[in-house]
Amino acid sequence: MLQQAVWSTGQDIERIVDTYGNMLFRICLVILCNENDAEDVVQDTFINYLTKAPTFHDSEHEKAWLITVATNRCKNMRRFNFMRRHIDISDLQLYSKDVESYGLLDHLMKLPNKHKIVLLLFYVEGYKVDEITTLLNITSSAVKKRLQRGRELIRESYRKEND
Amino acid sequence: MDFEKMKDAVKSIEMPETMKSRVKKNSNILEKEKSVRFNSKKWISVAFAVAVLLLIVIGIPLFDRNGNLVSNFTVTAYASSDDGNQLYTNLSEEKAIFELSTEQRIGVIGSVGGDGANLIFTNVMLNITGEDIDSITYTLSKGKFVEDVTLTAKERANKDWLLSEKIYFISTEPGSDISQGIKEIGNSYTVNYNEQDKYKYTLAIPHDGNDVIVEDMIIKVNVKYTDGNSEQQDIVVTQEPNSISLKLN
Repeated sequence: MLQQAVWSTGQDIERIVDTYGNMLFRICLVILCNENDAEDVVQDTFINYLTKAPTFHDSEHEKAWLITVATNRCKNMRRFNFMRRHIDISDLQLYSKDVESYGLLDHLMKLPNKHKIVLLLFYVEGYKVDEITTLLNITSSAVKKRLQRGRELIRESYRKEND
Repeated sequence: MDFEKMKDAVKSIEMPETMKSRVKKNSNILEKEKSVRFNSKKWISVAFAVAVLLLIVIGIPLFDRNGNLVSNFTVTAYASSDDGNQLYTNLSEEKAIFELSTEQRIGVIGSVGGDGANLIFTNVMLNITGEDIDSITYTLSKGKFVEDVTLTAKERANKDWLLSEKIYFISTEPGSDISQGIKEIGNSYTVNYNEQDKYKYTLAIPHDGNDVIVEDMIIKVNVKYTDGNSEQQDIVVTQEPNSISLKLN
C-alpha cells in the first residue's frame, strides 16, 4: 500500500513537470528575467503542489492553481531585489527556439510586472478577463486597465526602437 | 505590434531538459523526506504541548522577564499586498513573517540623493491599539521610516524642492507623467493615537549592498498615556529568506 502511494507520487511528479513545466518556466522567466530565480519558483511551486496535495475539479483548475501559486511566488521573489534585474538578450537564445522572437521577448520583459503578468495570461495562456480576475484576485476593471496600459507600453517601446 | 507574434515568442521558451530533470529529482527527494518525517507519536506530543501552552496563555496573566505585567497596548504590524489586500498581525514574542511587496519600488530609476541605495524598502507599517493612549513615538536603531508620495511632472523636475522635501528616490513608468517618490521621514516620529491612520510610514532597512541585513533592527515603541505615564516595547526586525520577521523583544 505504502509502496503504491510512493509510486503514485513519483508518477504525479513526472506528470505535472512534463505537463506544466514549460508553461510555468516561461511565465516565471518573463516575470523574473532571471533563469535561476525562475527555476527556483517552478521548483517551489511543484513542491507546494506535492505538499498541499490540493483537490481539483479538472485539469484547467489544476493549471490555474499552479499559475496562481507561481505568479505569487514570483512577486515575493522580487520583493527584496531593490534593482530590477534583467536577463541579457543573448541569454534568451538558450531558452527560445525562435531567433526572431528575442526582440519581442525583450520588450515584454522590460514591462512592469503587473502589466506583463496580465499580458502573459491573456495573450499567451489564453485566459479571459474574468478568469484572470479570479487568478490574480483583482477586479475585472483592473485587469482591463492593465491590459490596455500594457499594450500601450509595449507598442511604445517597440515604436521607439524602430524609429 | 503583433501580439500573436509575442505569443509565439513566449511559447517558444522551453524549460531545458536538464532543469526539468533537476526539478523532478528535487521534488522526489523532498516528497520522500516528507513521508519519512511524518511520525504520529511526535505529532501527538506536539499537539499536547500546544494545548498545555494555550491553557497557560489563557489561564494565567502574562508577565515579562522582570515579573511585571506585560504592556497594556498591542502593536499591530500590517502591509498592503499588490492585490490591495492588507495583512495584519498582532506582534508577540513569536516571529511574524512578512513576505511583502516592494514591487512598486523595485523599478526605482532616479536617485536624487541620500543613502537609499543601501536600503531595503518594505511595505510594513505599525499601528497601536490600547486604552487612554495619547501619543506614540517610534524610534529605529537604524534604517529609516519612509513615505510613498505621488509626484507630478513639474514637481519631479524641481530638484531643489525634492531635496527640501527629502524625496530622494523616484520611479516613473514609461510614458507616464505621474511619478512615485519615496520621502524620507527619519529614524523617529511621533503620532497622536487618534491620527494613526493619517501616517502611512513604512520601514526601510539598511543592507550590506547585497540585500543582506547584517544586524537586526530594533524599533522602540514608546506609548504615552493620557495620565502622563508612558510605556515601552521593543520590536526586533530580522531578515528571513525573501521576507522579514518582526517580534516583540
